[in-house]
Amino acid sequence: MDIDLSPVLNNWRFIAAGLAMTLGLSLSTVVCAATLGTAIGLGRAYAPGWLRVPLTFYVDSMRAIPVLVVLVWTFFAFPILTGATLPPFWAALVALTAHIAASVSEIVRAGVTSVRSGQTRAGLALGMSQLQIIRSVILPQAIVRMLPALGSILSITIKDTAIATVIAVPELMRQSETIAAQSFRPIEVFTTTMILYFLILFPATRGVDAVYRRFAHLGRS
Amino acid sequence: MDWSVGWQYRGMLFDGAVVTVLLTVLTMVVAVPGGIGIMLLRQSRFTVLRAIGVAYVEFFRNLPLILLIYWAFYVLPMLIDVRVSEFATGLIALSLNVSAYNSETFRAGVNSIRRGQTDAALALGMSRLQAMRQVVLPQALRRILPVLASTWVSLFKDTSLVSVIAVGDIAHQALQIRSQTFRVLEMLTIMAGLYWVLGYPQAKLVDWIDRRTGVKE
Repeated sequence: MDIDLSPVLNNWRFIAAGLAMTLGLSLSTVVCAATLGTAIGLGRAYAPGWLRVPLTFYVDSMRAIPVLVVLVWTFFAFPILTGATLPPFWAALVALTAHIAASVSEIVRAGVTSVRSGQTRAGLALGMSQLQIIRSVILPQAIVRMLPALGSILSITIKDTAIATVIAVPELMRQSETIAAQSFRPIEVFTTTMILYFLILFPATRGVDAVYRRFAHLGRS
Repeated sequence: MDWSVGWQYRGMLFDGAVVTVLLTVLTMVVAVPGGIGIMLLRQSRFTVLRAIGVAYVEFFRNLPLILLIYWAFYVLPMLIDVRVSEFATGLIALSLNVSAYNSETFRAGVNSIRRGQTDAALALGMSRLQAMRQVVLPQALRRILPVLASTWVSLFKDTSLVSVIAVGDIAHQALQIRSQTFRVLEMLTIMAGLYWVLGYPQAKLVDWIDRRTGVKE
């Protein structure tokens, strides 16, 4: 088997553009999903019963439906239903956010409920309001405990953006497919892409671990 | 809107559901022993074997599954001179991925049982094998089971990715029907509905297993 890296080298700008798109989409998704997911998670932990039921239903549905299906539905079916066309990038952002926010909400809920209820009662006994307890007793500990799981959300998001290739978002996976198809050199191109993804994901995973080790003591109680 | 298209093509959709379920089951059948094997590699006495185990886990966990599926699709036929079916390609890619996750699950489960328990068992005159089998494993299994169940649900969803190499799973069948009939909204909604019907009870089952198998040391 002869190896010819020229398709990769000649198209490095094209690949770099894909890489930039992957990072941009990942970061936007993480920010949106973290915001929405935190709201849903806190809602499931503290909201009145009538609100919890639809939130639980939403989260469990997202646990049952594949990202690919949500992506394809948002891009192809949503415009037919509403008449509003979404460009691929925005469709991917909406679909990935909807999906990943559900995972974030589970992490937030688990983090918040992991703080022992005795602390809430102690706060109440000291005359604090429910909101004060959440803000100054529960969240400071819960956030630190959530860190490792939230960090894994970062790498899950980067990996999931690759699926946006099915709706033609010009991210790294899509660009590689294009080059592989044009050059008939799938092995060289996809292997390069593998290495690129690894080079982004490995430091992301490790970086989060390092940050957590630095702050872990703050989460103990 | 014309929802009868789902009923009209029920045969194709049913075949897709069978392929999806079969792929999930077979991948787990491969990936549980695969995960145990890699965990054992990581706990080996030999540095080289340990390094191979770590490299395997880190590599496959830091790689988008869809890329692995494409890669397997193009590279497998060139590496081994045998024609590999799309189904087998999908199975191999999924198994490589899930084995990495399973090995971490097993490792975490075994390591989560405090050393003191093994020491206590040894002090009582049990052999290492006895301590492992009668003290550590029964507790570790209860911690491994819920994680394995949640991996199962993720895997069930991830099988949809093999549709990109034309394995006839639910997603692929539904997308095929969509392009044959142009009933885009109906078919895509039916596809999502099918996954929901199959996946929702599994997600709930995971929660139930989670509640049932708490370990108190």
